[in-house]
Amino acid sequence: MKVTRRQFLKFTGATAATFAVVDLGFGLTATAAEVKGCRIKDVTPTPTICPYCATGCGLLVYSETDASGKFVKLLSVEGDPDHPINRGAACAKGAALFNLREVYDELTGEQVVNPKRAQKPLYRAPGSDKWEEKDWDWILDEIAKRVKETRDKSFIHKEKIADGSEIIVNRCEKIASMGGSGLDNEEAYLLSKMMRALGVVYLETQARI
Amino acid sequence: MAKLIKVIDVTKCTACRGCQVACKNWNQNPAVIEPFTGSYQTHKDTNAETYTIVKFNEYVDPAKGVRWLFRKHQCMHCDNPACMEACPRQAYSKTEWGATLHDINRCIGCQYCHYACPWSVPKYLKREDVVTKCTLCANRVEAGLKPACVQTCPSGALQFGDQGELMAYAQERVSFLRNNGFPEATLYGVNEMGGCNVVYVLAYSPDKYGLPVNPKVSGQVSFWQNIVQPYAGWLIPLALGASVVSFFTTRLIAASERAPEEGGNE
Amino acid sequence: MSPSFGRGVMTNHIIDMKNTDCALIIGSNVAENHPITMKWLLKAREERGAKLIHVDPRFTRTSAVADIYAPLRSGTDIAFIGGMIKYIIDNNLYHKDYVVNYTNAAFLINDGFDFKDGLFSGYDESKKAYDPTTWDYQRDAEGKPIKDPTLTNPRCVFQLLKKHYERYDIDTVCRITGTPKDKYLEVLETFCATGAPDKTGCIIYAMGTTQHTVGSQNVRSYAMVQLLLGNAGRPGGGVNAMRGENNVQGATDMALLFHIIPGYINSPMNTPDHKDLISFLKKETPGAANLPVSTLAELREAVKAGFPNSGFKINTSKWVVSMLKAWWGDAATPENDFAYHYLPKRDEKKNYSHMAMFEAMYNGEIDGLFVNGGNPVVGGPNANKEQAALAKLKWLVVLDLWLHETAEFWSYKAWERPVENPDVPKMEPKDIPTEVFFLPAAAVYEKEGTASNTGRWMQYRWKGAEPVGDSKPDLWIIDQLCKRIKKLYEGSTKPEDEPITKLTWGPYGEGEEPEPVLVGLELNGYIGKFEDHKPVENFTKLADDGSTACGVWVYSGCMTTKPDGTLDYKPMWRDNQDNSKTGLGLYSKWAWCWPLNRRIVYNRCSVQPDGTPWPGDEARALFKWDPNNPDGDPKTGNPGKWVGDDVPDFNKYLAPAVGPGAAVPFLMRPEGVGCLFATKKDMKEGPFPEHYEPWESPFKNLLNSQQNNPCIKVWEPDKQGTADKYPIIGTTYRVVEHWQTGALTRNLPWLAELMPNMFIEMSEELAKLKGINNGDKVIVSTTRGDIEGIACVTKRLKPFTVDGKEVHQIGMTWHYGFNGYAKGDPANRLTPHIGDANTMIPEYKAWLCDVRRA
Repeated sequence: MKVTRRQFLKFTGATAATFAVVDLGFGLTATAAEVKGCRIKDVTPTPTICPYCATGCGLLVYSETDASGKFVKLLSVEGDPDHPINRGAACAKGAALFNLREVYDELTGEQVVNPKRAQKPLYRAPGSDKWEEKDWDWILDEIAKRVKETRDKSFIHKEKIADGSEIIVNRCEKIASMGGSGLDNEEAYLLSKMMRALGVVYLETQARI
Repeated sequence: MAKLIKVIDVTKCTACRGCQVACKNWNQNPAVIEPFTGSYQTHKDTNAETYTIVKFNEYVDPAKGVRWLFRKHQCMHCDNPACMEACPRQAYSKTEWGATLHDINRCIGCQYCHYACPWSVPKYLKREDVVTKCTLCANRVEAGLKPACVQTCPSGALQFGDQGELMAYAQERVSFLRNNGFPEATLYGVNEMGGCNVVYVLAYSPDKYGLPVNPKVSGQVSFWQNIVQPYAGWLIPLALGASVVSFFTTRLIAASERAPEEGGNE
Repeated sequence: MSPSFGRGVMTNHIIDMKNTDCALIIGSNVAENHPITMKWLLKAREERGAKLIHVDPRFTRTSAVADIYAPLRSGTDIAFIGGMIKYIIDNNLYHKDYVVNYTNAAFLINDGFDFKDGLFSGYDESKKAYDPTTWDYQRDAEGKPIKDPTLTNPRCVFQLLKKHYERYDIDTVCRITGTPKDKYLEVLETFCATGAPDKTGCIIYAMGTTQHTVGSQNVRSYAMVQLLLGNAGRPGGGVNAMRGENNVQGATDMALLFHIIPGYINSPMNTPDHKDLISFLKKETPGAANLPVSTLAELREAVKAGFPNSGFKINTSKWVVSMLKAWWGDAATPENDFAYHYLPKRDEKKNYSHMAMFEAMYNGEIDGLFVNGGNPVVGGPNANKEQAALAKLKWLVVLDLWLHETAEFWSYKAWERPVENPDVPKMEPKDIPTEVFFLPAAAVYEKEGTASNTGRWMQYRWKGAEPVGDSKPDLWIIDQLCKRIKKLYEGSTKPEDEPITKLTWGPYGEGEEPEPVLVGLELNGYIGKFEDHKPVENFTKLADDGSTACGVWVYSGCMTTKPDGTLDYKPMWRDNQDNSKTGLGLYSKWAWCWPLNRRIVYNRCSVQPDGTPWPGDEARALFKWDPNNPDGDPKTGNPGKWVGDDVPDFNKYLAPAVGPGAAVPFLMRPEGVGCLFATKKDMKEGPFPEHYEPWESPFKNLLNSQQNNPCIKVWEPDKQGTADKYPIIGTTYRVVEHWQTGALTRNLPWLAELMPNMFIEMSEELAKLKGINNGDKVIVSTTRGDIEGIACVTKRLKPFTVDGKEVHQIGMTWHYGFNGYAKGDPANRLTPHIGDANTMIPEYKAWLCDVRRA
């Protein structure tokens, strides 16, 4: 069933109640029906760290889950009051993290997954002007094949160096990799390890640009 | 019950606009994307799905040179709100701690509150045919949380809490500013409209921030409040101009027709 | 910063800014780009009366809250800071005890070292490079530098420094920078007051500093000021590099950069001194090159005995061998150089940095490219060229949340331009043979892992939502890809395939999803087999005999075991009580920070050489010497150690002393002290920063006859714009509402709402001159291309008066592209392919352009 925004406001409006006071230090009594309920009440948030600038602010993700604990939808993403750096604060970008996954539709006001998020592996063939949807197995196998083909064709195994000797250089100059400053440490590490094992030397991240 | 107020110290604001987004996040409002026209401010004013904006004003201080003045603009939550007085459907109410709330279930979208408010805060939402505005995050406050904008503010420009404590703080800030190169520094929202639950600390006179110096309720509102409301609804057509008549009557009729099918949640 | 302090990292951390007496924000717009920093800077102002100074070509939201705003023409930082160095020395404002004991001010320099008219000794015009042999200390018979603690010897660093900046008088500086003299003086007086022993001041910088042809020397100049004023290594002080991306620090630590391997060790090259493990270690361990050792065992003995000019990097062999063990496990043995030969050896004659990569791509030298959360069509310098370079690829893999401009570089809209320009490439999809593979990635809170912030805090992010659709965590994608590539090579007996077939790969978990904690174990290092899950305590326990494995030595110490024996990943720690007794806000049990959880590096400087607090600064002393502490040096059995709130960044068992035997304050430097003079190969263009004009500048260099940095690599000499055609200075920047190339913000409706379109900031004076009204559409052109944007005419920008002439400047964000909710032309279609001589970071911040109404 589709719930219009107006109905949604009214449903949640019915749940206004008095809650335990957390950080204001005094008790209040809910006064009017027009006070909509607090949708993050009794929801255990998940801490994360902001993906934008490098200040490293903490944010809390509040999600609705079903009876079995399965994720249903986001409720709110806000600054983490326990985090020593930002103490609950968030700038425009941090405060907008909800939009990274979900948005309120401009026309209907309904909560939907951000329509700009890419949800499927895609392939663009040479000369084509469109994307084709693919599955993960296909796309990862194809990439692995391209990597092997390019590497094997162009690999520099040994090279004569300045002192006249020949040494193993294990270099692949035909494959390049850039980016990674948005990756987690664990991801960046495995990427670094994999690329170097392949012999990739054109290896760059945003530290340089 | 002690009153709770919000202090907006514009001298600490860095215009990060976290408050603007946190407000949307909490109130579940969609983006209202308007084209850039030459100012960082983007929206000229708040709108029905943007309860607060940061206003940007450039001002040349004769002593200090160029200043870029930021001010978070929002509902002032007046002690005696003009919107409440103007509303023909009693959709407005005050919480005992001071928030001015608006019940969209009673609202008929007449927008009279919009015209009554000296800051034109209540805005019409066409999609839902209602007026909307800042709630001072009453549903957070009553759950023991700070208003979304206050929680997200990194710089300490926004504070929320006990009126006595915060007024002392705000006055201290003003004296500090006056002694440190800002002789015009002042509070705003203390005497305005007979007192508000939102109080500004300003470094310059209110007009430099685009605030009306002596905010007043428009004459029509007192007329409505003192003369029209005490009498029965049949006076409305007589009291108001012809074009307004159909506007109000259709809405009143529509509201009464709609009420049964939407009931059951209060 | 590494040539000055020993590490290229932010010295302090975000919260520590509350402890400052004065913050000099230069080349950074923290209020917009690191907004939460303002929380702590404003706290310093409110509680300590700290002054905030902003020096920037534009009046920004940082300027709006600063106490002092001083404009400076983009690209003239060295003139600005050079004048500050002269002012400090002339007025005796330097922190003498600090300078004598904690810097190389007293060191005597080789007699051959010289400087004439913009060039240091040793320049080779044909190579556009220096032979830095003379940029060295005078040494005694043992090879140790000779010093003059009185600082009076004309060959000591202090005297040479004084002489070098003699030319940087206030009037000359203001003629170059365009800063009003009264503002400049106000900055000098206010910031240099932090040279008092009881005061500290911090310098905060970001891309406004580094994105210049003299970017590294800009940073050097800041570091030198902080050494002179005695501000480095102390709470409220330091040189704080504000990193731009949430994990650019981590990605750098993991060595996603061509010139290093994990842990800041130079990556091997095809040179005789890198040809095998022992040659490599002798070359890369400071002070080891001339040791009479020819095997790892002999080197090990020499390290144990110690040798001069090495610093803490004397342990390099342990880090390298442990990394090789982590990567190639059982295949890495003492007999085969621990598989050192598996590592790729880059060509010493080639540069593989970002611009070089795209130049090579443009020339058809690269077939395949992985773009892992990047967007060069928007973010790369000279973006028109970089976009055309992508069309030369056979295949492109894009890993991202969004179909951004790089993923769709082949589409029709990608080639639309506001002006017909025959010099700008224009293509159609049918002409582009590149295969594109797009891999949808999960968002930050749809997966788990750690990120290292600008203050080196490694923090864990938990998963709060499911990935949308079929999107997957990057860790899963990289894991899958590597496993599939390994599978293709399975059974190969070719020696060149061994680096892949023998590569260790966890297993990082039992199910299909790799576990970040298990990768963390490899970062931290382990003893025995990986599967045993036995973390090493920290990098001081690493060995070079193959008994330990460790992926990234600087991260060693991030893992421990809980009492029940399971792994305890310290980035998950969430104790938010400030552990510092003096309220300095170290929060040492919140997450973990590298190295060894030291929150402020070089922290020996927080107290005097004799171990007592700096006079009047008791509250900011991080340590004191406890002579009777029973937990003394385990090697000697003597009692006594340093105790305090932070983890010592020095030998904690060495009693305070002056001279030999004292713990060195900058232990990653071979000389053990901070460097006012950068020796030998540390800096390509000389030991002292010298002012050179940006590559594109309307002015002649007033300080010397070298117009530009003499060591920069010029890729496209024909694209150098000149002031007759392009009289206006252009600069790029960011705003709080967007981030980097905008992929992660222009696709968020709430942020698109705040900054919906590309705009061009200009002064009212320039707008009048060009007949432009606020809100008009305008075209900006350079030799590289043209873009359209909306004019934002403002009082905040003013023309500069430089050497008596008026020059205009415009500014624009580089966040925009043709996809997303907020759209606009990428500013980088204008920027040049020219970069810093050391780092190759492009000069985004100062170039020549013209502007007109569209």
